[in-house]
Amino acid sequence: MEHMLANIALSWFDPSLLMLTALGTLAGIYVGAIPGLSVTMATSILISFTFRWEVNDALALIAGVFVGGVYGGSRTAILLNIPGAPSAIATAIDGYPMARKGEAGEAIGLTTVMSVFGGLVGILALALFAPLIAGFAIQFNSRDYLLLGLIGILLVGSLSGESFAKGAFAGALGVLIGMVGLDPMTAEGRFTFGSIQLMGGIPYIVAMIGFFGVAEAFVQLHNLDRPVIRQKITRIIPRWSDLKRYFALVLRCSGIGTIIGALPGTGGDIAALLAYDHAKRSTPDPEVPFGEGAKEGLVAPEVANNAAVGGAYVPMLTLGIPGDAVTAVIIGALFIHGLKPGPLLLVETPHLFWFIVGNLVLANLFLLIFGLTGIRIFTKIVECPKAILIPLIIVFSAVGTYAIQNNPTHILWMLGFGVIGYFMKTYGFQVGPVILGVILGPMLDENFRRAMLRARGDVGKFLWDFVSHPISLVLTIAFVMLLLSQTPLWKRWRLR
Amino acid sequence: MKERSPLRPGELVFAILLAAFSALALWQAYRISGFTGLSTPGIFPMLASATMLIASAFILADALSRRRIESGAQTPVLTPRLVVFVAMVAAYVFAMPWVGFMLSSAVFLFAGFTVLWRRSLLVSLALTAGTLAVIWIVFRLVFQVVLPRGTLLQGFL
Repeated sequence: MEHMLANIALSWFDPSLLMLTALGTLAGIYVGAIPGLSVTMATSILISFTFRWEVNDALALIAGVFVGGVYGGSRTAILLNIPGAPSAIATAIDGYPMARKGEAGEAIGLTTVMSVFGGLVGILALALFAPLIAGFAIQFNSRDYLLLGLIGILLVGSLSGESFAKGAFAGALGVLIGMVGLDPMTAEGRFTFGSIQLMGGIPYIVAMIGFFGVAEAFVQLHNLDRPVIRQKITRIIPRWSDLKRYFALVLRCSGIGTIIGALPGTGGDIAALLAYDHAKRSTPDPEVPFGEGAKEGLVAPEVANNAAVGGAYVPMLTLGIPGDAVTAVIIGALFIHGLKPGPLLLVETPHLFWFIVGNLVLANLFLLIFGLTGIRIFTKIVECPKAILIPLIIVFSAVGTYAIQNNPTHILWMLGFGVIGYFMKTYGFQVGPVILGVILGPMLDENFRRAMLRARGDVGKFLWDFVSHPISLVLTIAFVMLLLSQTPLWKRWRLR
Repeated sequence: MKERSPLRPGELVFAILLAAFSALALWQAYRISGFTGLSTPGIFPMLASATMLIASAFILADALSRRRIESGAQTPVLTPRLVVFVAMVAAYVFAMPWVGFMLSSAVFLFAGFTVLWRRSLLVSLALTAGTLAVIWIVFRLVFQVVLPRGTLLQGFL
């Protein structure tokens, strides 16, 4: 016990570890805030020069970047309607309307505190239930991932805006964009038209930057002459009443984030979208409507994506399976340092496990400090004249798009998506469902086909599998209930 | 009952284009593997494009049933400023592989600030230089991102 506590607190009292965690968290916030600079990319680069370091030093820096980066994406989502990372897409839906009302300071303050709370719940789950959660997560198979994807795609209904048909179109367009390239199961070309450039597919960050960043820049051209909205920075620390009011939601979304983060192949992006959908369904009467600056819509995704960090460490440390792209890179780092993440890690090197737990807590505390102190400078971005901001957004979008795979064709895609996104926004389409489709489409496709292959193409067995396994049954019931709750019949029954 | 918003300029044309694009996408999706099985690579593309086609039919029907707005009553969708700026962005992204990131970005930023901001040329120039310096430090030096070098001006960055 004493040994465990000493390892948890190791980074809290060691000056160099303390400094590295702080540096990593601060850098992570800025990496996360810039679209195109991903946490995965930053972690990979860190590994290239930390492999000679002491393992604890390297892990402290990487954990800081991971925690800071997941949170950082919310900054540009709130201030500019341009999510810095896919995990902040849902944050933009209600965060940006708050900034337009001059409440960016309050939005960022609330986001910061709730992100830290979510992060701590994720770490607590890692510390207390790691083997249990890992054992549960490993039982998920293709049809369960399919059901998760289907539950996620129902979010189209929540994100559709003025018309469900427009939302459905946007979501299906996203799925179609996600299908472009070689089929991962058969290597058959889909919508490639013989082009080598298209065979690699279209990364969803390119679509995100185009539909959100470039399209928003074009839309803002109409508002050049409007006076700049001055941000009220009178309240940064959230109200106690707000914290109390959202406590139950925060706990539920922390659970969603931890579980989704622990599932191999899913991460903060899917966790945030599911949590947003949950918030919308479970809050029938928000103070401000969803999509117009509802705090519930801001809190839920941010709590979930930060809780997913702790969740992602669970299968990585206990099973040696990455929970998401960043933990896949961290596994590489652990191997470089001669460690073996997997079932024996807790037995052979328990000190490392407890060090990671303590260090993640420290990174979250630094997140609270840096998140609440830099708000005034950040909010100046919104007060910058749009005539300066718009060309800057285009250039940062271009360099961010290019940085993903060093492919100039992606910049052309970005522009194309930007133009389509402009018309979609102008004619009342929401672009959120497009990104939802791009993220969930490949997951749905792959898992549907795997589940169908497991059933040997027999539709009867395929359907029976959904109700004959416990996890699948629970998810099927959840999916059917959520689907029913979107029908007019249900809504009429609720109003009765 | 909520009053339906009037048809915006160009909305009908956009709805027609969406329907045409969806039909084309469905045809292309069908060509991947047809109806040969439920676990083929073409099944989800067909599902997605069929959803698009059905949704676009509803969007088109809705556009046809709404009243048109009187010209001049609403902000036009394609303003001269927007067209000029999109043309500038297009020129920028097409020129980048030829002349490299730094030169194309310098010209684009300077032109963008000048056209949109209409203030002192010196300030536009200083902003351009400052932005490029930040991008160079963050992307090239810190994150070691290789920025497009350009085939015409090899090595210029």
